[in-house]
Amino acid sequence: MKAGRLALFAPMAVLITAFAVAIGGLIWGSFTRGGVGLYVDLLSDQVVLRVLWRTVWISALTTLFCVVLAYPLALFLARSKHRNLWLILVISPWLVSIVVRTFGWMVLLGVRGVMNTALRDLGLIDAPIRILFTPTAVLIGLTHVFLPFVVIAILSSLLQQDRRLEEASRILGGTRWQTFRRVTLPLSMPGVIGGASLVLLMATGAIVTPLLLGGLRDRMLGTQIYTEIFQVFNFERATAMAVMLLVIALVLVAPLRLLEARIRQAQEGV
Amino acid sequence: MGLSPATRIIAILLLILLPAPLIIVIGASFSPRAVLAFPPPGFSWRWYLEFLGSPAWLAAFGQSAIIAVVAAVVTTVIAVLAALALDRAPARLRSAAETAILAPLLFPHAAIGIAFLGWLSMLELNGGFIGVLMAHLILCAPFAYRPVAVSLRQIDRSLTEAATILGAEPRQALTRVVLPLLRPGIAASLLFSFIISFDEVTVTMFLIGPEFTTLPVSIYTHIHDSADPVVAAISSVLILLTAGLVLLIDRLVGLRIFIDIEEEGRQAPA
Repeated sequence: MKAGRLALFAPMAVLITAFAVAIGGLIWGSFTRGGVGLYVDLLSDQVVLRVLWRTVWISALTTLFCVVLAYPLALFLARSKHRNLWLILVISPWLVSIVVRTFGWMVLLGVRGVMNTALRDLGLIDAPIRILFTPTAVLIGLTHVFLPFVVIAILSSLLQQDRRLEEASRILGGTRWQTFRRVTLPLSMPGVIGGASLVLLMATGAIVTPLLLGGLRDRMLGTQIYTEIFQVFNFERATAMAVMLLVIALVLVAPLRLLEARIRQAQEGV
Repeated sequence: MGLSPATRIIAILLLILLPAPLIIVIGASFSPRAVLAFPPPGFSWRWYLEFLGSPAWLAAFGQSAIIAVVAAVVTTVIAVLAALALDRAPARLRSAAETAILAPLLFPHAAIGIAFLGWLSMLELNGGFIGVLMAHLILCAPFAYRPVAVSLRQIDRSLTEAATILGAEPRQALTRVVLPLLRPGIAASLLFSFIISFDEVTVTMFLIGPEFTTLPVSIYTHIHDSADPVVAAISSVLILLTAGLVLLIDRLVGLRIFIDIEEEGRQAPA
């Protein structure tokens, strides 16, 4: 019976193995075909270094914006009586394809887009503001795309909290801000960090949003990989960049994961 | 505890901004002229008729739908089997297995795309249905597994014990007690994986070929060349389809499932 039950896992094990082989093959292939020399070349290429740096700062800022904006919304949802209704407004855009949401921002931000037309009609500007095809547009787009992930993560940890702790803090004379700062926020940190690491990971590996909103000049690592494959046809370089992407994601996310584990331990110890 | 006015204002602004790009896309799709504008300069179904009259767009739509249905059914079956296999497994084994199932969530999509491309080219499967399907099965697995695992954990153990005491064979207890109680989890799992597969673009764009493409990837390619309102019309179809599925999840399972699986994910050690 017991062995039989574990056998049910076999099909899932096939998927896991296929994934592991694909990722393993990527790393292995980048060393056997391109060799270490390829990495040395890449890391001494000014263009690549600039792309790496841009990937890191855009991802970091996106994560920061997502957390700062998602928190008030999650708090609002956690306290709202009509949470289900509002959740539809958060979850529906979240599940619409990234390409469609990015397209929406192109229509909004373009030179003859909704925003510029509105601002001109109101007499606020004379010449259109150029936002599309700048890093600002990429930041706006990525923040919009990933915001719901963080909202749900924070909301889930807010809903787990014992509300009586906040009440206790208020009764004992804590102000609203003190209660938030000393009770609500620390207890919701696992959600904040979980959501933040997810966004950081996805932003570093994004392709569609930076490519459509950032244009060809301000590339991120994901868009650079895509161009290497489909315009330059340099599979070796693309592979090595993908491995670099894995390393960057790991380096960025690892401290957050450690912090999360430490906070969870500390809270379970209480 | 009440919320500060600033929190409320940010939350309400975001609840407007999150769906805004999508509303604008829907509005722009009714433009009678070949310009993307919101509000549209008139009203016509012109671009919808163009979509319905285009064999290329319809083929992409059909292929996306087939891939998504097959991926949803297959991953859900695999996920149910895996969840049953791990249900009574030792805690260590189970948490190791769950980490492996959720692993695709921990890798940047651009890197996953390249990894699959390299691996599928070796098997000579890239550019076709099977290759894209395999990638989608792996990407959907975490989303299919979590709702089922959450549902399974919520089932009262004494119900299966009662069935066994009353003389049910293990198989009967499974089909007559456990599976019916798993129905909400299975429904969520099917709908989730359908949405994930139907919307996926970042990984899929590496794997399509001249004969096989999916709708989001075609939309991407089309926007990259020329953004005309036909894309807005197709995007609107996608938006309404997704919103419909979200309402279906709400009716069948409740949107709470999104928060529950988040909690589950955080408790599983990463």
